[in-house]
Amino acid sequence: MAECLAKRLGYPILGREVAQEAARSLGVPAELLERKLGDRPSRWSRFSSLRRAYVVAVQATLAEYAVGGNLVYHGLAGGLLVRGLPRTLCLRLIAPMEIRIKALMDEDPAVDAATAGVYIRDVDESRARWVRVMYGEDIMDPGLYDLVINLETMTVEGACALTARAVRQPEYALNDAVLASLEDFRLACRVKVALASDAEVRTMELTATARGGEVVISGEAPLRKSGQTGERIVALARAVQGVDRVRLNLEWYDPYP
Amino acid sequence: MPIITISRGSLSGGRALAECLADRLGYPCVAAEIVRGAAAKLGVSMEDVQGKFETSPGLWARLVRDREKYVLAVRTALLEGCAEGSLVYHGLAGQFLLRDLRGVLRIRLIAPLDVRLRTLTDHHRMGREAAEEFIRDVDNERRRWVRVMYGEDVESPALYDLTVNLRTLSLDTACEVIAEAAGQPQYEITAEARAAMEALRVACHERLDALTSGE
Repeated sequence: MAECLAKRLGYPILGREVAQEAARSLGVPAELLERKLGDRPSRWSRFSSLRRAYVVAVQATLAEYAVGGNLVYHGLAGGLLVRGLPRTLCLRLIAPMEIRIKALMDEDPAVDAATAGVYIRDVDESRARWVRVMYGEDIMDPGLYDLVINLETMTVEGACALTARAVRQPEYALNDAVLASLEDFRLACRVKVALASDAEVRTMELTATARGGEVVISGEAPLRKSGQTGERIVALARAVQGVDRVRLNLEWYDPYP
Repeated sequence: MPIITISRGSLSGGRALAECLADRLGYPCVAAEIVRGAAAKLGVSMEDVQGKFETSPGLWARLVRDREKYVLAVRTALLEGCAEGSLVYHGLAGQFLLRDLRGVLRIRLIAPLDVRLRTLTDHHRMGREAAEEFIRDVDNERRRWVRVMYGEDVESPALYDLTVNLRTLSLDTACEVIAEAAGQPQYEITAEARAAMEALRVACHERLDALTSGE
């Protein structure tokens, strides 16, 4: 489906390469990063600063490619990684289990139907749990997507055709405002990577938004004896190319109440 | 070109989408006409028929059987409409009334709560809290009705060929996308599909006659 769309629209296409590139930027093996993103997270994993760093790295890598405005991304949780961005069409493809099992068996004739079924259910459950823990969302919720296409009756070519038709409508036109939003998103992602790369700051739950060179950093930060935390956060953000001003919108808390 | 059914939560723009599609494709757009046809078959008011689709029966088998007669009447009336050619149906339960038939494109339309609320708050001057409660109640009733009558989750995308979300898609774009799907060969009403629809229409008609003649 992604390849069909990319060809029809003349867009670049990305999938696992994003996670692989994000892994290289963090200096970890790609398999480890993919496992961290796709694995069944434990109850407390959401608060793991390491997992947050991985998600931020993938998001930032995707932002670098998306800044031009035209891209087909078929990796994990794409819609959630770019949530809120304009001119983003978020699709979900579904199919009955029989069709999915058959597709897996066609891909690997050594796999029987029972094994294929177990594998598919495991992957589905793992992904659903990851999205629930990391984003608090139900991956099956149709409200997360602009279109949910059922391949029980729709062919991939048919799904591709109607998606391309949607993208060619006026609300998906690429204009200066959209390009500016994508630049802002990229800048915010770069700042988030900088914060996640710092051994002290990465333990804090912070997020960043950007608009025309001004970055706002929000979240919770602990009061430290040194009183230097705020300055450290600002310095990290300021060091990112493209950042002109930094504003803090933090809730300070006493780590030793 | 297929029969198109549109399922949606209350106030999600279903009628507007149906009218856009009907205009775009040159089809009749029906909902109330089907209810009228069903009411005439049963010798009851349209409100009686509508009521059986809007409130779920209790779990007593007798009440479910009574409901089934009304559903059968609406199904028969819809199939009679389909016999005349393609149409857009935006009444209740379209995806179930024409279940398992080929030549049907099943659409589910969803819209963010804010969009749905606006119709009530802006046009009907309802307060936000009252509007939310109204929408929640109607949605819950419909969910329950489908669960009791068909054992399904009305919101499951697996029941539909295409689920369209108006959170960013405009109504016009939704209309374009569905029109594109409607033109695809797998949704064409073939001679076989037409024959199956007619066979079902006859069976429903006979069953309804049997149920109503005993009264």
